[in-house]
Amino acid sequence: MLPLTRTLRSLTKQRTGINYLKTSAPLQVFWERTDKGGYRDDRQYPPFKDRMREGLKELKKEIVLWKQEVKDHFEGDPVLIFRPGEVDVQWKFNKPECLDKWIVTTDSDNNEGYSTANLDLTQYGKGAFTGHLSMRVPKDGRVKRAGYCNMRTIRARKSFKRESHFNWTSYNMLVMRVRGDGRSYLLNINTRGYFDITWNDMYHYVLFTRGGPYWQYTRIPFSKFFLASKGRVQDMQTSMPLDKITSFGITAAERFEGDFALEIDYIGLEYDPNHVEDFAYEMYEMPKYIVAT
Amino acid sequence: MFHKMWRSYFTILHKDRNSSKCVRNCIKHINTSVVCLSNGKKEAKEVAPKGLFENLQNKNRDTYIETIKIFVNRDAIYRRGHVDFIYSALKNMEEFGVQKDLKVYKALIDVLPKGKFIPQNIIQAEFMHYPKQQQCIIDLLEQMEDNGVMPDYEMEDMLLNIFGKKGFPLRKFWRMMYWMPKFKNLSPWPVPNPPPDDMLDLAKLAIDRISSIDAQSKTTIYHANDITDSIDHTWIVSAQSTKQKMLLQEYNEKDPVYVEGGFKVWLRSKSVNYFVLRGKPKPIKEDNEDNDNVSGLEVPYFGLKPPVKKSLSLNTSQHEQEDGIIFSVCATGTSSKDSLLSWIRHLEKDNPKLATIPIVFTLKQMPGDVTVTEETDS
Repeated sequence: MLPLTRTLRSLTKQRTGINYLKTSAPLQVFWERTDKGGYRDDRQYPPFKDRMREGLKELKKEIVLWKQEVKDHFEGDPVLIFRPGEVDVQWKFNKPECLDKWIVTTDSDNNEGYSTANLDLTQYGKGAFTGHLSMRVPKDGRVKRAGYCNMRTIRARKSFKRESHFNWTSYNMLVMRVRGDGRSYLLNINTRGYFDITWNDMYHYVLFTRGGPYWQYTRIPFSKFFLASKGRVQDMQTSMPLDKITSFGITAAERFEGDFALEIDYIGLEYDPNHVEDFAYEMYEMPKYIVAT
Repeated sequence: MFHKMWRSYFTILHKDRNSSKCVRNCIKHINTSVVCLSNGKKEAKEVAPKGLFENLQNKNRDTYIETIKIFVNRDAIYRRGHVDFIYSALKNMEEFGVQKDLKVYKALIDVLPKGKFIPQNIIQAEFMHYPKQQQCIIDLLEQMEDNGVMPDYEMEDMLLNIFGKKGFPLRKFWRMMYWMPKFKNLSPWPVPNPPPDDMLDLAKLAIDRISSIDAQSKTTIYHANDITDSIDHTWIVSAQSTKQKMLLQEYNEKDPVYVEGGFKVWLRSKSVNYFVLRGKPKPIKEDNEDNDNVSGLEVPYFGLKPPVKKSLSLNTSQHEQEDGIIFSVCATGTSSKDSLLSWIRHLEKDNPKLATIPIVFTLKQMPGDVTVTEETDS
């Protein structure tokens, strides 16, 4: 709130006790200012000296990455044949370094709830996404509902912090080996585009877990994933652009309060020639000006 | 051109009796609220009385429906403050235990007058005619969605009669009717909705679900009473398959087996604590033969030799995992150490070898925990 409007508001309140003036800024634009969607990053910017030191450290890592890229380019040995039944593991949880590729967020990070979550390695060297889902809504008059924990990978990138995409066009299945607690989880595949309306494009599907001490092996075809933006399922659906994948995530947001635990061995990709479906959801012709409004 | 459009828009506004009435109503509404706030005499002018639901003594479905009826009959013509009434009704649903009841949602939608909110022209339709009312019903539909209540076609007719075919709540309804049936029965491990309240039924469901990995596994209900010297007299739901019995029979006597738990398994909104009888894992045989390696092909034309005998091994079963062999799972009524001891005594009857193997209890939680916990949605 601007200080001027704040003083005006207090003035009007003092005189009449009624709010005549609109104090919140009206949204008169369609475009989005930042990709954070209004969430500000309040972390303090480090001093110049620290930034230089950290930057040089990063440079070392980036050069290693770049060297590998150049090597791959000249070797020119891409995988051309994707044999059915062979799982190409994208994310495995066996070393502590594997956890660096993941970001865990909960609603309590933005003061919008009280859920907590952790991503660790178990003693058997598997990833464990555990935490507590709390549906208690903070009493700030702004938040309507609460209760989510999320883990997602960092964005696909090339060396020197250049953004890129995962190219999964050769595969048609998502394969996971997990051990859950009977809850269902949401799988998110982010296909962020260049323009602001595509910033939040995300494909979702449900991961059901059996619960119990046994590991389960889940195969989900990409055709089953449906498009949503900011959690709203879209009217006009299309199949997933498999060459434009930016990140992958798992959300625990069931509407039941309590602990949750999901152990993950690996997340991989597979090509199944028997699965020919492109997109699982049928579309209907609707009257004008009804769809996507 | 812009002028023309503007003028026509105004003429439409003026011609239409509905919209002018709407404006008048709006002014009236503002006036009343101003009076409410400034005078402090709330009881005379307030349109939606506060505490209509909160102050009720008996909170159940019947009183909820009755309150809606009272509101509808109080002011049959204007039905003032229906939006505020619906919002307060939505807020109090859980306390009355009606948040999963489709009929109650229908009764709430039925509070709105029919025909009044139907837009008469394209501009009204496009600019969300009666926005507060439309938004209110959209919020109601969203609450239904959150509680997993699927609407039916009678609701579509009601919404059509209230908001017309261009209404925004109707669009929400169509979206719900497209997506909700697709996900309703998607789970490969279905659980009744709502889940049973009885602890034993719930434990049976949970153990059946866990042991569904092996089609041969059998769920048995033991009673701790049958064991002499047992303290806790409770039930034990246990599951074991023939394969697990075989594995236990082959198990090395010198290695201990562990009773581990209470782990949680969720069945919709309810969780059950279960315990596992786990043995040490078998050493994993690493098969390092690379099928793609063509450097050492044997040509059968020179020096014919009998084929090399390949070492045979049994396929590992689902029960043999990296972290151990699962011999059995159970849930007991009290989740206490004593009831688990009774479980082991019962298992000994089918697995005589268990009597000779040392058993270690590594329980995570303090014994005496309640098995079934119901989580209330806040």
